[in-house]
Amino acid sequence: MLSRRLGLLTFAAGLFAFSSITFAADTIKVGVTVAQSPPGSVSQGTQVKDGVEVAAKIINDAGGVDGKKIELIVEDTQGIPEKARAAVEKLITRDQVVAIVGEHQSSAALAGIEVAHRYHVPYINTNGWSDVIREKGYPEVFNPGNYNSRVAIAVADTMKSLGAKNVVAFCENTDYGVGLAKLIGAQIAERTQGISYKYETLDRASKDYLPAILPLKANPPDVIVEILLPPGAYILLNQLNEQGVAPTAKTMIYDASGIADYPDFWQNVGDAAKNMLVFGLYHPKMPMPELGKKVAADYTAKVKADPNRLLFQAADSLFLVAEAIKAAKSTKADDMIKALEGMKWSGTRGEVSFSNEKSGFKYHQWLDVPYVTFQITAVKQPVADMKLVQDPGKALDLSRVEKTK
Amino acid sequence: MLTLDLLINGLVIGVFYALMAIGLSLIFGILKVVNFAHGEFYMVGAYAYTLLALMAGVSPWLALPFALIAGLLLGLVVERLLMRPLYSGYTSWGVMRDEYAVIVTFALSIFLINVVDKVVGPYAYKGPALIDISRITIGPIAISGHRLIAAIVAIAVIVIVALIIRYSFWGRQIQAVSQNRLGASLAGIDTAKASAIVFSLAGGLAAISGALLANIFNPTPDVGVFPAIKSYVIVVLGGMGSVPGSIIASIILGVLESFGGVYISYQYRDTFGLFLLILFLLFRPQGLFGEKAREV
Repeated sequence: MLSRRLGLLTFAAGLFAFSSITFAADTIKVGVTVAQSPPGSVSQGTQVKDGVEVAAKIINDAGGVDGKKIELIVEDTQGIPEKARAAVEKLITRDQVVAIVGEHQSSAALAGIEVAHRYHVPYINTNGWSDVIREKGYPEVFNPGNYNSRVAIAVADTMKSLGAKNVVAFCENTDYGVGLAKLIGAQIAERTQGISYKYETLDRASKDYLPAILPLKANPPDVIVEILLPPGAYILLNQLNEQGVAPTAKTMIYDASGIADYPDFWQNVGDAAKNMLVFGLYHPKMPMPELGKKVAADYTAKVKADPNRLLFQAADSLFLVAEAIKAAKSTKADDMIKALEGMKWSGTRGEVSFSNEKSGFKYHQWLDVPYVTFQITAVKQPVADMKLVQDPGKALDLSRVEKTK
Repeated sequence: MLTLDLLINGLVIGVFYALMAIGLSLIFGILKVVNFAHGEFYMVGAYAYTLLALMAGVSPWLALPFALIAGLLLGLVVERLLMRPLYSGYTSWGVMRDEYAVIVTFALSIFLINVVDKVVGPYAYKGPALIDISRITIGPIAISGHRLIAAIVAIAVIVIVALIIRYSFWGRQIQAVSQNRLGASLAGIDTAKASAIVFSLAGGLAAISGALLANIFNPTPDVGVFPAIKSYVIVVLGGMGSVPGSIIASIILGVLESFGGVYISYQYRDTFGLFLLILFLLFRPQGLFGEKAREV
């Protein structure tokens, strides 16, 4: 009797396993790790998720990848490293995904890549800016998004163009925030002369930043560089304004985190963002390839909102996985990695290729991520109306910059 | 000038801490348990105020009492549904009552955060200002009109609550239950009713604190986590269950964080309270106004 039961059980398990294999063969599973609940940046997570879904629909509507549809499996990381680690582990071991995309917070990406590296599964880092992600030198990790060194160079060059002498940065206490603040200091020292720079680390969870702001009242800097994600960034801007430290005729604000296109930006920041300079990875006036226009149109139709930078980064991440499978004609990790290393592909933001220089931040990084600088010239201004003061690949045009009166 | 700025900021923040911590202290005083969902009452108040004012177009001055009522009602419902088992079988609960309270309030905290995250959304909402003046300058001091008014309202609420507890009929009964629940019960005091009032009042205080700070700290679903942690520290520093102790500890912590953030390091600002907590636990475990435990 017992052996008969065992036999039935074995048969059922075999049937289940067979059906799983059959199902898996019909689709290509791609894991998506995003923050869908606090304390992670859910604003970012939602934009990334939407971007990946738009890209998946475009791929699937066009017949999929070699006849197989892309199946997305989304895991919520809450922006917490240990949850990100568990999410990647689950996606790889239980869901058998062929690649991971979507991570948008450096701390979570740093945890996730450890697991992807251990299981040797391709990991497309959508928006983790920390250079440390690249410096790990993991062959599985590819970076089509922005990186801290690029922002640091942009900030240093902008400070030089503005003629700033005294610069203070406020950064969040994360790998991304502190890493970028340090890099900005290094780039200012390397690329400019006579600029005094210091940074102050703020706790993302804390809400009262006044003790860090008040000492600036006696000797306000020329520029305050903001390196925080919302809602901390919004609170900082409001408290700077409340104390009359910035924006003023003396002190400008430079947003190094690119928060001006967040959907909740204007609800949370009013006058406090007036004349703020913004490091921008997307502006409607930037030149855009056909694929970018298609993604933007589909996104607007889907969520009834204007496109944002994370949409394109997220879409590119999934497109890259699809292109790698097509080029490799395989979903094996080694084949996909080889394909990605040699890839030259026209994405939503330009021609993407990865550096194979195995040193520092350049490893597996798309070095030419396009960026601009734009300025907010009116309260509640849509991104399309924000004034471009630096075109892609050009220097900041000081004559276009408006000063606070 | 900086010293004055820091002092004012510390006092204002201390007042907001006090508003938050009094409720927690009252709950501990009467139920002898820690409410881990206290921060979520704060969050509910912040959202009630913000959403009523922004989406329903209600005046912020009207939205404020609505937020208070939302907190009072939530406190009442939670007490009836979740906390009542704690003392309905008071004599037979023994050790389990602590575990029960921790698990129930912790689960409630996670539940409320996720409900708001899914229903309202994850985005930050800056609450409307009670007074539309972005900056009031008094000599060297600059303060937003809202922050000033909110601090005044907070002080008024604290004074009213202190007077109610000190002099009102139910306030005295709460004091009695806090001192000796069994004794109060034997003297004819309805301890269940006193507990319900305290839990409801604590919810209301946290909610109005959240509402007053909604313009300054832009609420998100997890906005209550951080002030709740501060409140736990304050309640221990002030003496578990002592309302005056909580008020004084709040002011001390607010001022200490303000000055320490500048003269020691802003990075370690949030550790000052914890450092103070360790010192108190070592040298004065009963807190500022707490009594040493006596068992017969």
